[in-house]
Amino acid sequence: MTKYDAVVIGGGNGGLVAAIRLLQGGAKTLLVEKHNLPGGFATSFRRGRFEFEASLHELNDFGPENNAGDVRRLFDSLGVTDKIDWLEIPEAYRVIVKSENLDATMPFGVDNFINTMEKYVPGSRPSMGKFFQLCKDIHSAQAYTNSVNGNTDSKVMLRDYDNFVRVGSYSVNEVLETLKMPKKAQDILNAYWCYLGADGDNLSFVHYASMVYRYITKGASMPKSRSHEISLALVERIRELGGDVWMNTEATKIKTDSNGAVCGVVLDDGTEIETRHVVANCAPHIVFGKMMDNVPTEVVKATNARKFAGRGWSMFLGLNKSCEELGIENHNYFLYDTSDTVKQYKLMEKISTNEGQATVCLNRAYPECSPKGTTMMYFTTLYMSDDWGKVEPKDYFKVKNQVAKRMIERFEKDTGTVIAPYIEEISVATPMTYARYCGHPEGVIYGYESQYWDGLTPRLMMMKEDHKIQGLRFAGGYAMRLSGYSSAYFSGDISGRQTVGDLKREGK
Amino acid sequence: MAYRFKRKLFGFMDLLKFKHMTDVRRTKLQEGSSKPLPKTYRVNETAKILHPGTQWATLSEITTHNSDTKTYTFDLTSPVFFRAGQYVTVRAKVGDSLVARPYAISSSPMQGLNKKLSVTVKKAGFFSNYLYDNAKVGDKMEIGDPSGEFYYESITDTNHILAIAGGSGITPFYSLAQSIADGTEDCTLTLIYGAKTASDLVFKAELDKLVSDKFNVVYVLSEEEHEGCEKGVITKELLSKYTQNCYTTMLCGSNGMYKFVDNELKEFGVNMSKVKHEPNCVGLRDVEEKTFTITVHIRDKKYTVKANNRETILVAMERAGLSVPSKCRAGGCGFCHSKLVSGKFSLAGADKRRLADLKFGYIHPCCSYPDSDMELIVPLG
Repeated sequence: MTKYDAVVIGGGNGGLVAAIRLLQGGAKTLLVEKHNLPGGFATSFRRGRFEFEASLHELNDFGPENNAGDVRRLFDSLGVTDKIDWLEIPEAYRVIVKSENLDATMPFGVDNFINTMEKYVPGSRPSMGKFFQLCKDIHSAQAYTNSVNGNTDSKVMLRDYDNFVRVGSYSVNEVLETLKMPKKAQDILNAYWCYLGADGDNLSFVHYASMVYRYITKGASMPKSRSHEISLALVERIRELGGDVWMNTEATKIKTDSNGAVCGVVLDDGTEIETRHVVANCAPHIVFGKMMDNVPTEVVKATNARKFAGRGWSMFLGLNKSCEELGIENHNYFLYDTSDTVKQYKLMEKISTNEGQATVCLNRAYPECSPKGTTMMYFTTLYMSDDWGKVEPKDYFKVKNQVAKRMIERFEKDTGTVIAPYIEEISVATPMTYARYCGHPEGVIYGYESQYWDGLTPRLMMMKEDHKIQGLRFAGGYAMRLSGYSSAYFSGDISGRQTVGDLKREGK
Repeated sequence: MAYRFKRKLFGFMDLLKFKHMTDVRRTKLQEGSSKPLPKTYRVNETAKILHPGTQWATLSEITTHNSDTKTYTFDLTSPVFFRAGQYVTVRAKVGDSLVARPYAISSSPMQGLNKKLSVTVKKAGFFSNYLYDNAKVGDKMEIGDPSGEFYYESITDTNHILAIAGGSGITPFYSLAQSIADGTEDCTLTLIYGAKTASDLVFKAELDKLVSDKFNVVYVLSEEEHEGCEKGVITKELLSKYTQNCYTTMLCGSNGMYKFVDNELKEFGVNMSKVKHEPNCVGLRDVEEKTFTITVHIRDKKYTVKANNRETILVAMERAGLSVPSKCRAGGCGFCHSKLVSGKFSLAGADKRRLADLKFGYIHPCCSYPDSDMELIVPLG
């Protein structure tokens, strides 16, 4: 029987990084991916004259060489940064809430951000100053936590990072209120919320602030050849380090021994791989629901207790006019019905009421991304309930196109541009597409929701006790760092390194 | 002085609340249901019908249309729903080879929901000849995922579609005509169906029955006078008699037909960006014959196969009986995406690979011919 020190199940962002970490730690590693391409959602596809980005709006926390963010540093240590051609995103975002006459375009850079906010919301400066002070404190605390691998000294935390501890248990809304931030400034600042997919009452302030801070201080980046370039670069690195990558290969079972510890993996064609260590880059719901037998009751309970985050919907448009001709001015739009995130979240539960969208015009960051005289756009939204589950197969294509039409009309209405007559290529991905592509339950693309009780901080604090099955660790959007590109990469980094630690302790 | 955050009146309460976060989460996690986790979900079940993956199917009926064309109807193991106009890959073992070909689906999507799927195939090469001469009811074959973008797209296409079929290119349009009749597709279709003689008009009786205010069909015979049919070829004059030049136009037939009809369409004034062609499989290339050796890595196995430089790399692997992925066989879908370790190759037609594939040396074996000995890492198909 083929034997590996570790098997990584799933070649998404988390799995690819975990495999490199395992190989760097000396483990003989196999990565299996059920799809024919690596990267999970980090991929691209061709339609006519266009190559569409499948999911990445902008990579957070990468930063230029002279202002490196944590992801760039991670990529440096993985040995992949130079395999990828990078570009910088020009501005942070434009948020439009037409019903409230809110339309703000925000820049990168803390001072620029605060100054621009002051222009839109006179009097916001003091609270914005405090906000970024807290961000900085949180960022330092996180750096300290990472430097001690999560084994923090509570005395040090209280002495050096007391603001982190003080805000640590509060939601975004609770903290911004305490800062007495003017309502409109809160609304503009909250625009990124849909990147984390939980409303301001549930979303932990620490989580949100740390993301915003990384965007505003490091800017955002993008690989020139779409995220497929990152995924192929990571595979290249795995092979350079002697790892095996098997595409079109689905792992169907994780086997455990009489002690409940991992002892092997079964593939779709019945092949058995002997291994004591698995990093699963897939949903615990799938792993414990159908890939493992004899799952301990406490694990079943803990998994059932989690709440699925947003189910994905995306539309990709290739337009036969330039963005200048079309009047599309910005790279990154957030269009909402209301700036009240709790209400917006509610609207996003139903197909019939959801038109909120995060929309990107890649040409505004990278004019050469499509042929001259054309524009490439992608629209994304989340569904906060299983509403797509009610769509019958025979109605599927009609519902999909009705939603597409509404999303296009909404963009046109909110931005005052006209795009519909110029669509040359269109492709629409729904929760069904995501369910098929990555196997996620209900087509979820954001892992487990950042509930008030299940946010970033407690997940990180409980990493050790969440590890219940010997030899099984998780990476990707369902893991301890929650979802999103940067988070998924970090989860792979953490789980990969922890597994190397497990192997070392076993004397391997 | 640095700002110090305080939410509760007494600051230590904030600290206490922080400390309790893990207790709260621990309690919440153990409040979860102890019922076994679901094995599947509604969205995932629907996804399985839309994309069932490769499945075993039983050939349940064979209809002979004429001396070179038959319809093969399969009983599927799991239901499927697709867009009228899409194709499936049919794969079977022929001698020592494992051969796959994409064929447009001639049955309707609604029949797919009832686990029935048909392809209509004209004898034109290795596999279609094999099917015509050897396939029999009861045979088991592999049927792939419905694929391709050759269908009516309500957002970009005009609601009235002009379809031009050459010979066995009728297949996807027969599916579309049935879908319009049963309400699955909401568009109007004008079909111009060209063939050599009346006996080559596959599905003529069925199409005539489907004619309605949403569907009409014009038969054009190049080699025979026949009642109710136009005589000649599909020219701009003929087009102007039956249609307008502003419609989205869908063409399915041979590459020779595309060349001829495209010219006529241009002169007729059709906006060529609104013209779709069903891609045809990459065939032989006309070069001096040479044989190369290709080393193929599939998972942990290594194979050495002989490759004729007139045939694609995919064909060489299939001839050797390797189970390798293929779908469109025209370079576009990327399903055969493989890593080139070493060797030289030439592309058939336009390069449809992703940008990063060029950078990291990936190829689509279905549209690449070997120009030297080669080494490849190929997924299991």
